[in-house]
Amino acid sequence: MKLLEYEAKRLLESAGIPVPTSLLTEPSDILPTPLLLKSQVPAGGRGKAGGIIVVNTPEELKPAIDKLLNLAIKGFTPKTLLAEEKLNIKKEFYLSILIDRQSAGIKIFAHKNGGVEVEENTNFKSWSINDKKRAEQIGQELADYYEVPDQTFVLQDLIENLYDCFIKNDATLIEINPLILTEENNLIAGDCKMTLDDAAAFRHDWNFEEKPAEANFVTIDPDGNTATIANGAGLAMATVDAAYEAGLKPANFLDIGGGANEATLLKAFKRIVEYKNLQAIIINIFAGITRADEVAKAIVSAKKQIKDLPPLFIRLAGTNYEAAEKILTENNVALLPDLEATLLAAKEVIHD
Amino acid sequence: MTNLFEGKNVIVQGITGAHGRFQTKAMLAAGTNIIAGTTPGKAGQEVEGVKVYDSIKDIQETQQIEISVIFVPAPYAKGAILEAIAANVPLIICITEGIPIHDMLVVNNALKASNSVLLGPNSPGALLPGINKLGIIPASMSLKGNAAIVSRSGTLTYETMAGLTDRGIGQKYVIGIGGDIIHGMGYKECLELFENDPEVNQIVLIGEIGGQDEIEAAAYIKQSVTTPVYAYITGHHAPAGVQLGHAGAILGNDNESAAAKSQALGEAGAHVASTMSELVQIVANTTTP
Repeated sequence: MKLLEYEAKRLLESAGIPVPTSLLTEPSDILPTPLLLKSQVPAGGRGKAGGIIVVNTPEELKPAIDKLLNLAIKGFTPKTLLAEEKLNIKKEFYLSILIDRQSAGIKIFAHKNGGVEVEENTNFKSWSINDKKRAEQIGQELADYYEVPDQTFVLQDLIENLYDCFIKNDATLIEINPLILTEENNLIAGDCKMTLDDAAAFRHDWNFEEKPAEANFVTIDPDGNTATIANGAGLAMATVDAAYEAGLKPANFLDIGGGANEATLLKAFKRIVEYKNLQAIIINIFAGITRADEVAKAIVSAKKQIKDLPPLFIRLAGTNYEAAEKILTENNVALLPDLEATLLAAKEVIHD
Repeated sequence: MTNLFEGKNVIVQGITGAHGRFQTKAMLAAGTNIIAGTTPGKAGQEVEGVKVYDSIKDIQETQQIEISVIFVPAPYAKGAILEAIAANVPLIICITEGIPIHDMLVVNNALKASNSVLLGPNSPGALLPGINKLGIIPASMSLKGNAAIVSRSGTLTYETMAGLTDRGIGQKYVIGIGGDIIHGMGYKECLELFENDPEVNQIVLIGEIGGQDEIEAAAYIKQSVTTPVYAYITGHHAPAGVQLGHAGAILGNDNESAAAKSQALGEAGAHVASTMSELVQIVANTTTP
């Protein structure tokens, strides 16, 4: 789950990492100027899209708020604006902590040139950190690397707090970019991206604007002509692959999961029929834990309950296949022998 | 070298839960020798005739354990795996899905300091037809033989296995390494196991988008594997940056794509299919019964 900047900064602040003085604004709020007004949207490239406004006088505030509340950035319109003190910037650095898949551990990345162009940087400096005790040494080396030796103690604290914040919040990424060194020689988190592990939600009291991304239902092409339903992430991906290979245009990826029942399937059908160019639905179920007869019952029930359902092309195999075949045959629903035959049959009805 | 997967003394952690009970029954039916199970606070109960203990330590007072299969729910799975590591269980198989990544980092550090091997989590486990069913892979769709399957996906594992069985091609190993970002045994360890087993005459590798595991597998195949390898990578049409079902199935960089992985495996000498049915077909075409 990705947090918005103000949510991420609250977590940084409670971990003892300095962030700019700030307020969340409503259009009526009066704030001291000059300040930065920042749109809180879950999208990158915000600054370039005009999502950050420097407000120099109190008179400029209201128009700036109105402007940002109505400005869509990559399809997102903000619910919240963040108003922050304008810092006197001397230098901007890059600092992040993340789960590194290859080493199966936690890593810190740094670059001495922070800011919006950071993706163009090469030669990031990195450290493995699987223990808070490493913070002292990393802070020391970071001070040398950033060429701010007078900030050694501050950076050692910062790394320790960043590591604590990462662990305590079940984060998978915290990116502070830029980490600002002010003219007054303070190190402050200018912007922050934070991603938390959805799997850890059970042990937190999370209440953020963005909800966890849905991993089991993903739209691939909203104009696609064929919807896909499969069980298991791998089979669902493979079904999309095979549909493309057969010349169909799959609209979505859908994994109904193990042990799928009638309710799960009905919900899936209702979402799928929203695709405006939909002409066929492919169902590809390999029943392991899921029982094929349960799926068959759900299909029959969906056909009765959902009007104008596009034609279904069904391939079922595995546990309780015979019972499933019986249910579908009794209800005049055709079964196809394998995925290839299913895709070919679907192709017959597509006309665009 | 003793083969960990052929161990005879198997326990089930989390045996009294719904999944634990159901799968214990299925494993027993497939001939797996389950000597005991654990659920804290449930000592003295029985599940399908298997005695339940509070802890692994209690079992070890009288019996030696070679394999543990874990069905403990995600919030407590870290504790269960750490208990098995502390008890020096040689092979730990974790079926549980949805374990927090930070918990797996702790597990991973404990593993490095131990002699235990972990398969999973978020894995269907391993099936050695006629020898051992360690997890949830349906034995009814398998056939004893000489092929070896390794995959990150449960359903694709079953699908491939059933496809080979239909064509009379039996399996020695069917192993799911799990779909999570931080996991135990990978492709490389499985390939090593297959390559060193003289009974294995063909290897089927199924991969997916996200991470570098298949690229590393390709390098290992090129360097050390002489057994023929057949491969399929799923997710050719995955949008970038979006998670597709598995926690680990996110397309980050270009080198994590299905195309890049297929190419690397092809260059390493594997026969690469572009769909699942083609995969089973190319294995069948090169098999002389």
